[in-house]
Amino acid sequence: MAGGADHGRTERWVWGAGSVVVIVYALIPVAWILSLSLKRSADLGDNRFFPQLVSLEHYAAVFQDPQFSAALWNSIGIAGISTLAAVLLGMLAAYAIVRLEFPGRRLILAAALSIAMFPPVSIIGPLFNIWRTVGLYDTWAGLILPYITFTLPLAIWILSAFFREIPWDLDKAARVDGATPLKAFVFVIAPLAAPAVFTAAILVFMFAWNDFLFAISLTSTNDARTVPAAIAFFTGSSRFQQPTGAIAAASVVVTLPIIIMVLIFQRRIVAGLTAGAVKG
Amino acid sequence: MSEIELRNVSKRFTGATAVKRANFTIRDGEFFILVGPSGCGKSTLLNMIVGLEDVSEGEIRIDGQRVNELDPKDRNMAMVFQSYALYPHMSVRDNIAFPLKLAKLSKPEIDRRVARAAQILELDAYLDRKPRALSGGQRQRVAMGRAIVREPSAFLLDEPLSNLDAKLRVQMRTEIARLHNRLGTTTVYVTHDQTEAMTLGDRIAVLRKGEVLQIGTPRALYERPRNLFVAGFIGSPAMNFLPARRAEGRLELPPGALEIPAHNAKQWGTAQGPLIAGFRPEHLRVIGERDVSGLCFAARAEVVEWLGADLFVYFDVALKGFGEMGLPDDLDIQRGDTARHTLVARIDPAHAVNEGDSVRVGLDWRDVQVFDAASGENLTLSNAVNEH
Repeated sequence: MAGGADHGRTERWVWGAGSVVVIVYALIPVAWILSLSLKRSADLGDNRFFPQLVSLEHYAAVFQDPQFSAALWNSIGIAGISTLAAVLLGMLAAYAIVRLEFPGRRLILAAALSIAMFPPVSIIGPLFNIWRTVGLYDTWAGLILPYITFTLPLAIWILSAFFREIPWDLDKAARVDGATPLKAFVFVIAPLAAPAVFTAAILVFMFAWNDFLFAISLTSTNDARTVPAAIAFFTGSSRFQQPTGAIAAASVVVTLPIIIMVLIFQRRIVAGLTAGAVKG
Repeated sequence: MSEIELRNVSKRFTGATAVKRANFTIRDGEFFILVGPSGCGKSTLLNMIVGLEDVSEGEIRIDGQRVNELDPKDRNMAMVFQSYALYPHMSVRDNIAFPLKLAKLSKPEIDRRVARAAQILELDAYLDRKPRALSGGQRQRVAMGRAIVREPSAFLLDEPLSNLDAKLRVQMRTEIARLHNRLGTTTVYVTHDQTEAMTLGDRIAVLRKGEVLQIGTPRALYERPRNLFVAGFIGSPAMNFLPARRAEGRLELPPGALEIPAHNAKQWGTAQGPLIAGFRPEHLRVIGERDVSGLCFAARAEVVEWLGADLFVYFDVALKGFGEMGLPDDLDIQRGDTARHTLVARIDPAHAVNEGDSVRVGLDWRDVQVFDAASGENLTLSNAVNEH
């Protein structure tokens, strides 16, 4: 029917236009930063959206700065270890919550959620003092611990929703086939949970990678300072110069890994986020 | 190859008893069926044998060895699940090879056994497919393949055919029977379908509400059911039941009375309560006007089902003066209401009976089994025919 086709076209057009608006709105600041990072120092204040002349001088400067490469290394290490630990612990915890009968499993889930809702800023002060006393201040572990704490609940929730969808019979079959409980988990359950594991991993990684609050409060030197914190300490080449270009270049550099990761795992993330929402 | 012995095995979940003192032995090489309506504890029993559920009380022995505390992985049993439980991320080949890899067999040995299982089950062409690319029957075969590669001491099958459509179910049923003949491995098969039980089993255990009611060959269960439930559960269409009363030398039924020789009537003991008479559909005969042996009565054929080799005729019998029968409601045979009851006769299709026709029906006293309405016990059986 002509009317139906027309209707379909209009609908598609509205959705398409809506998507474009959202994308432009979200990406203009990113494009602006990208543009800034590619301008020459002299052009930074020229009020143009596209650089007059593309130059990589800020990137060169950023990578020559020992402070930045140290921060990049810290960021990769800290975010990586936090992700690994949170996902691994989250998997074991979620599996136990879903598969084992023990009193208080609902309570554990509720408690985990309440931790995730806790405003981090409220514990920064005490944590700063405690970390200085116990010697965790300005160390990798000093950042990894709070990152795991705040991301573990999210990981447990995502993973337990997913584990719930995996039929019990598969565990049982593996056990009868001769697997220990751990082997059944490693060979049968974990591979099936891969989409959820990727989702949890990326969300945890993003939290740790993007975090500014803990990073700025709990570090003081290149030993553990991560990129978001380090950018705040950038200085221009002279006292009178704003380090705008360098900050822009550094921002682009730290954004890239996240974008690449999300693009690669996009499908899996969607699968992981919607698991449990619809019976498949 | 092994003998599985259950000694007073009970299973209690919080607040409920799923299995009550199950006590029987599954012989080496036997095809043993656990059958019963849903919730009768048959799957729980199977899970206890394989070790997926703990035994609350009693003892399970395999070849004389107590296995209560043995982990499922160490029992060397293979199980086929109702859902098949195929590993979705593994190819058919990897699914079948999984138990062998866990057993750390050598690569050539694994390949050899997988190839053999695939050949037996005609899965050769699908070895590299993922389970999701297979049809229901093929998935079922993969599940069987995963069970047979291990050359286990026993196969445990939990309603393996209930997810298949009717035609495939019959086909897989014969395949399972053939497989059992070929391998000769002790097999325990759980089903709620009495046809599967009758056709496959060497022996059948009928369970109800966690209790084993009777164990015997299909023929024994069909011909000599120990109680009302077994009588009604085994056989399709189900046994006919009518309320009955004792009288001097006779058994009174709603359509009339049956003369019973004195020494047979004595067998029923002194039970005074109401009785229930049961007889199989094939025991109702269509008879001529002159035939007067046994109980004869006229009835109107309400529904006639012609199945080629069989002709089923349904007719109503008024219950005039007889109280309602207390048939177990989990039997699912409620044919009729308080005033009338529907009987079914399986007769020779040579009889041309049409709906609405009046037919003369005859019943011989030897074909009638008499049950105590209160306890459900079969009074016709000469004292305690116990088959274990």
